Amino acid sequence: MTLPAKAFQRWLHGIAPDASTADVCRVSGIKRTTLAQQLVRGKVSVSTVVSISRAYNINPVAALAGFDSYRILAGPPQPPTRCELVSQISTADLLRAALARPAMDPVGRRGAAPPALSPVPHASSVKNWVDAIDDGEVRHRVSAATGIAPQNYSAQLTANRLSPELAVATSVAAGVGPAGGLVATGLVTEEEAGWAPGARQEALDSMSDGDLTALVGDRMQALGKVLRRQEQDQAQTEKIWENLG
Amino acid sequence: MITILQWTTLAICGLVALARIPSAVRGENRSLFYIFALMTLAILLSIEAPYVAIDQALGGVNLTNLLLRFVIFGAIYFVGVRITKGFGAANAYRLITGRTGMLALAALSALVVVVYLLMDTAGSSAGLVTVSGKDPRNGLLVEYYGAAGRAYPAFVSLVLFPAMVRAARSRLPLLVRIAAGLLAVGGLSIALTLFFPVVPPELGSLEFMVNYTAVLCFVIGLALIWAARIRQDKRAGSGTSFTEK
Repeated sequence: MTLPAKAFQRWLHGIAPDASTADVCRVSGIKRTTLAQQLVRGKVSVSTVVSISRAYNINPVAALAGFDSYRILAGPPQPPTRCELVSQISTADLLRAALARPAMDPVGRRGAAPPALSPVPHASSVKNWVDAIDDGEVRHRVSAATGIAPQNYSAQLTANRLSPELAVATSVAAGVGPAGGLVATGLVTEEEAGWAPGARQEALDSMSDGDLTALVGDRMQALGKVLRRQEQDQAQTEKIWENLG
Repeated sequence: MITILQWTTLAICGLVALARIPSAVRGENRSLFYIFALMTLAILLSIEAPYVAIDQALGGVNLTNLLLRFVIFGAIYFVGVRITKGFGAANAYRLITGRTGMLALAALSALVVVVYLLMDTAGSSAGLVTVSGKDPRNGLLVEYYGAAGRAYPAFVSLVLFPAMVRAARSRLPLLVRIAAGLLAVGGLSIALTLFFPVVPPELGSLEFMVNYTAVLCFVIGLALIWAARIRQDKRAGSGTSFTEK
């Protein structure tokens, strides 16, 4: 989850030997109280390291690789699989891409060319990423390796969250590039993880009409479930207001 | 200690009732105002000084205690109805307002009145302490009277309990979930009052604690739901105009 404060201080000294904590906070945009609290507790969050790395023009993935628990991130970046790339395209973008395919409309009316893909991460990026790399056993392996209870892991995915530690553990368990999960959770950018620019678009273009349409169908079904659940929650809340508000 | 608890509870309850007046005038959920008003009255009548003062005015035969029983019955009935309706607990709603609930209410009301009439009730005293001390027969009758008076609130709160636990674990807004948790604790406390006859006399203050915990949990729980609605309305109000309602 977090990084030991001692290791963090050592790392910080390495990249900014003369900077005070106040300087570091100013250039990285971290609140002084936040960092102070993390240092006092001895647990520095991963996102702190990412923000500071960016401020000092260091690749955050490489910076994280310097810490014991993230050593696996070291070395040349491993390119993402096509499934991973496609999983990081939002449902709306996939739907637009599908509509622009000639096969979607036999009459021959082609939809307008879709706009550029929206940036990572999208609303269900974490869940879609895990689904994309899951061979059916990944969740078990993650839970065996990290000790997280399967229902807690699922709860994080449903909320489109995943701690950096789990994101890396999931990549390792699935045998894909270790930084993929950090991209899906939005902790680092595609570029920082070494994903080629335009790789998602290429992966999308290389999908067959059938594959794309089926994927859009799955995504729409999942989205429908989420929306319906939100509507039910909303209706229940309204009813409570109506009777007890 | 107990005096402080009593007057604090009265103050909180009275303030919430007062705060509900404007919305009651506007016609929003008037029964909620009645619930708070009845609860305030019930607490007032359960404190020695106001009890004796009012009872003296009513003839000094502890008629106030009988009145208090029916104020509690009324308050808990409305609480049960509003909460089961609001939280969509259809089965619990049917149990309270259906034949079972009505039969329980009628039978226990009749029992309370009959036992009251059988007692020698002269001499104002909150909790009927002096009446109970007159002779063994009256002592026993006071026990039955108390048990009958506690049975209906316990019935309603036990019916509410499962729905509250469910709501506290649901995906509803956080404040509502906290409120449901408080209502569950309050319900459990009321159910615990059933065991008062077996509580040794030296732990009498425990009975007070349980009673006031129950009332406080209900009042604060209901007030929290109201607060949650105000918060929600403010948030929605910033985006939409009032005419949309």
